[in-house]
Amino acid sequence: MLNFIIRRLIVTIPMVLIVVTLTWGLIRMAPGNFYSSEKTLPPAVEKNIRERYGLDKPWYVQYGKMMGSILVGDFGYSLKYEGQSVNGILARSLPVSAILGVSAYLLALIVGVVAGTLAALKQNSRLDYGSMALAMLGISLPNFVLGPILVLIFSLTLYWLPPARWGSGFPSKNVILPILTLSAIYMAYIARLTRSGMLEVLRADYIRTARAKGLTERDVVVRHAVRGGLMPVVSYTGPALAFLITGTVVVERIFALPGLGNYFINANLNRDEPLIIGIVAFISIMILLFNLLVDIAYAFIDPRIRY
Amino acid sequence: MKEERTPTQAVPEPQQPNRGDRQAAITPLGTPPAPPIRSREGDIIHTSPELAVGEGDVRTAEMGNVEVVAGTSLWKDAWKRLLKNKLAVFGLIVVSIIILVSLIGPPIIRATTGHTYDSIPRDPNLIKSFAPFTAPDGSFSWSHPMGTDISGRDILARVLLGGRISLMVGFIATIVSLIIGITYGATAGYLGGKVDDVMMRVVDVLYAIPYMMIVIVLLAMFGGQSPMGQLVLLFIALGAVSWLTMARIVRGQVISLKNQEFVLAARATGVSTPKIIFRHLVPNTLGPVIVYATLTIPSVMLQESFLSFLGLGVQAPYASWGSLASEGIQNLAVYPWQLIFPGVTMALTLFSLNFLGDGLRDALDPQMRKF
Repeated sequence: MLNFIIRRLIVTIPMVLIVVTLTWGLIRMAPGNFYSSEKTLPPAVEKNIRERYGLDKPWYVQYGKMMGSILVGDFGYSLKYEGQSVNGILARSLPVSAILGVSAYLLALIVGVVAGTLAALKQNSRLDYGSMALAMLGISLPNFVLGPILVLIFSLTLYWLPPARWGSGFPSKNVILPILTLSAIYMAYIARLTRSGMLEVLRADYIRTARAKGLTERDVVVRHAVRGGLMPVVSYTGPALAFLITGTVVVERIFALPGLGNYFINANLNRDEPLIIGIVAFISIMILLFNLLVDIAYAFIDPRIRY
Repeated sequence: MKEERTPTQAVPEPQQPNRGDRQAAITPLGTPPAPPIRSREGDIIHTSPELAVGEGDVRTAEMGNVEVVAGTSLWKDAWKRLLKNKLAVFGLIVVSIIILVSLIGPPIIRATTGHTYDSIPRDPNLIKSFAPFTAPDGSFSWSHPMGTDISGRDILARVLLGGRISLMVGFIATIVSLIIGITYGATAGYLGGKVDDVMMRVVDVLYAIPYMMIVIVLLAMFGGQSPMGQLVLLFIALGAVSWLTMARIVRGQVISLKNQEFVLAARATGVSTPKIIFRHLVPNTLGPVIVYATLTIPSVMLQESFLSFLGLGVQAPYASWGSLASEGIQNLAVYPWQLIFPGVTMALTLFSLNFLGDGLRDALDPQMRKF
């Protein structure tokens, strides 16, 4: 196990370097510069700017400097938000995105697993068809459509919830709509995965054994079936995290929340290289570590898996 | 079409060489004998000694009557199973209607009312948002069934254009991902060994990458040159990131097929490796590929709409459902229909495509079916 973790961590580092190199390469190969988007500058001014940001040095020196800054975990200063360090922006915006993402995923997990399990237990019933149709709707309804529709209903018609902004932060009414919007698609996926996983497990021999030895139906489902039936859900968690990032970007845009995703889009539109690199590197590391955690969790849930 | 056969078993049964293979073994007869087959370690050349002896005669004798039946039945069967699935039929009908309407709709609107997706009215009083079915004086009118946007453009015409672009991005990016995925997966699966290890490890690495971030960087940095260039960039970017699963599926299929007799026969008669892969192996993987491709289209369309919603995808004067929704969201409180029409159309399309994909999976791959 320890061996496996160490091996995976060793593989993780080059992966992050590849992602960062690719991003850096794309930014550098693109036509234009961050300083001359609106007007052409006098040559003397341009020369000073290039010197100031180290652009006059050969590319490998710049690349080395960028990589070095990542290895020590200091991403430098934003080009657009003057005087603000990338680390500062990360520290400020990460909690917003993390709260959104984690609570949306937890909500999706609870609702999805319950709905999927019930649908599997009552296969081909009305409940089954209803929840699966709802799940398909959840998969098909883009969150930039769902979010505004929720705003239209709950904020602009019923006046129950605020339509946008972070406000006072987590335990407030402001986060309800963003979390609902973000979690809808995961709820749907998890419900479908749980249903098919449970259906498979409920036909397994060890469930028949559990029934045969006289356990109550509740014990059979809760103690035996759910554990096996949730394997697809656990393995979905890795990819889900990657999608969650796209999701948070959109939701943060819709509800004007000061999260990582919103900063990432702005950084791209402003060509704010240190900020882009910082966010990309940070999120890649997070995703890769998270995938590792999922693999470890896998081994704990399913005793047949050994690393 | 006769040769095509979708493998439904992961492990082919050696006792029953399937009909489609025989044709493959027969056709290249007459080509000069190839250099001897290099048998590598682990390759199963003959699955059983009975089959290796005297198989030629038996085949020609059986071929005539069996093949016709077996060749067509899979697709007919699948079609029958698909028609039994009400949700899939619903999906098929809705998708067909939406494709048809977005193709023939714009010319019809132009002929009847004169509106196109980018025609802004000349009269300055008309450059504002009207509700659906409303004439400028507030009375009922057929002129704008979905209302107008803030520039007075007909939303129906724009939704139809958005449909064209969204569907086009979905289809073309899926085709790009098919080409890359099939080539990559089939090559890795057929060559096997070290090559396969390396190629699949690359796929594993790419899987873990947050590719949407890289696509966003790519579009933000290289986009904005011209509307057409942006579309091409979208096709390539989205196609290039959705081939991974396709490659895995095709590889798995090819591995289960490559030790069958028809591949051996092709090798024995000197067919080149690329030809074996693309003429003999790839057609046999079509079933799962079609299923997965049908499910890739909605997911690519969803990604395109995310990007367009963020302002990085389709550019004006073109519009896609994502960019229309992003325009609509600006005026949500006052003109909700500007979001609702493109949004609901898109959701309906994705809904139908997903049902169709699920139905196709059940029909073509009964073994993959989850009860």
